[in-house]
Amino acid sequence: MTDHVANGGLAAAEIQRGEASANRAAAERGDAPLLPAERLWGFWEFTYANSALAIATWAFLIGGSVGLFVGPKEGIAAIIIGNIVGVMLTALATTPLSGRYGIEQFVALRSQFGYNGSRVVYMLAVVVLTMGWLAVLAMMFGRSIDGLTALSSGEATNPTGIKMIVAAVGAILVTWFIVAKGPTSIKFFNMVVSPALVILMIVMLYLILQHRSFSELLAMPALSPPFEDNTLNFIIAIEVNLAAGFSWWPYIGNLARLTQNERTAFWPNILGIFGAAALGEIVGLLAAVALGDSDPTIWMTKIAGPVIGIIALLFVAFANMTSMANILYTSIVGLRQVGTASVRAISWGAILFLFCVIPLGLVVFYPQMYDGFFIFLVWTSALNSALAGIGIADYFFLRGQKLDMRSLHGPQENGPYRFWGGFNPIGLFALAVGFAVYVLVFNPQTLASLPAFKYLTASVPSCLAAGAVHYVLTRLFARGRGWGLYP
Amino acid sequence: MENDIAWQNELGRRARIYEDIEAGHRFEGTMTVLDYAGMTVLTLVLVLGSWFWGA
Repeated sequence: MTDHVANGGLAAAEIQRGEASANRAAAERGDAPLLPAERLWGFWEFTYANSALAIATWAFLIGGSVGLFVGPKEGIAAIIIGNIVGVMLTALATTPLSGRYGIEQFVALRSQFGYNGSRVVYMLAVVVLTMGWLAVLAMMFGRSIDGLTALSSGEATNPTGIKMIVAAVGAILVTWFIVAKGPTSIKFFNMVVSPALVILMIVMLYLILQHRSFSELLAMPALSPPFEDNTLNFIIAIEVNLAAGFSWWPYIGNLARLTQNERTAFWPNILGIFGAAALGEIVGLLAAVALGDSDPTIWMTKIAGPVIGIIALLFVAFANMTSMANILYTSIVGLRQVGTASVRAISWGAILFLFCVIPLGLVVFYPQMYDGFFIFLVWTSALNSALAGIGIADYFFLRGQKLDMRSLHGPQENGPYRFWGGFNPIGLFALAVGFAVYVLVFNPQTLASLPAFKYLTASVPSCLAAGAVHYVLTRLFARGRGWGLYP
Repeated sequence: MENDIAWQNELGRRARIYEDIEAGHRFEGTMTVLDYAGMTVLTLVLVLGSWFWGA
């Protein structure tokens, strides 16, 4: 009898432990807020994770793009100015609330856009942008392969040729295969790639400084400034870096929710994301200007002969695939989180492949997208800067830094975040206004701009306009209609 | 159905924990006026310093 009772008690305890473990796993996936005791990262762990994320080959690409517009001295200034403002505003909009409540970023977004509106934002900010990034990184992989085969055979490169396209398609398909296996292999690659990229950066900087002193580098001209007005070129370089800073909007909230508290969620972004990205971009800028090409897959071949060039390109190719796996995995996990039941019913491998179709199309039919990479980057800021403005206005000024976990995670159809059919028209209108302000002030496609652009940039007015519209219209209309549980 | 009820209960439990923390003002590591002042000063120093050095 005693044994039976004891065994029954043990079995019940076992079941409870299993349930607790399953609940925690579900919370880690974003289905529920992570409790304070369940958070993993302290200050330095999060700083390291952020640095590892920020030091990627895209930093070299962005730095090289800056070198098109301005020389190194102005370029370093533009990198610091753009990235600190962009990262500060993006981190403010996403990380304090994630750090305080352990809430998944796009669940929290229901408080700003409604439960259906947050899905629209997810599609625009994550799905569309990640597809673009996948294509760009795959093209960079393809150009790395084209570059190293040219180096080893002594032939000329063909950056948009069939070899690049085949390699880029291969990169997307291999990435699909890796991610389909799950996150374990991705974690392993991350542990290897990030420290190795730091070493690559240091080696590149050393090799560049072997041929030219730092003061000589600072005095070098830009590669291909589009305008005679140097101030305009400088502001465009700042805008490219604002875009780079704001481009973290889709990703850092969900990393921040793993940290121990609000302060730990915020400040490591400044050290890690801003610090590491700025450093990587500066190396890319100096290399591009010193070696005469903004494309890292080209200047790496010129830096120190074929052997080092081949090793560097092989490594860049590998690092690109790691970045592709990271963003593909994160995007699909989030898509299944915000998606409808029919989206969640699609198998993991199938939904991954469907996601890769558009990037494959871009690689095959629009390979020249890579050379205008900075155009893609600034288009993303038209959206991300507005999202940051709305996030800051909503969480800090409208809600007084208070979110209702019960309503955000409970059934949505009759909850306080249903707004109008699941969409918050005010939040979505504010997003459209921010986007329109951006494009009016500075056209990312043509680089045409209003005179105000030289004093304000485009991301900053977009962020302010979207935040102001969201704040004013919410105050005027939302509470009266019982929308959004605003205090 | 049982799983749904169990999960709703779990969500409720987690929400209650946060409601209790909030009611008792027991959030740890919250950002204060010093943090906001610090980020403002840091941003201004980096922006103005870089502008005057590089522009």
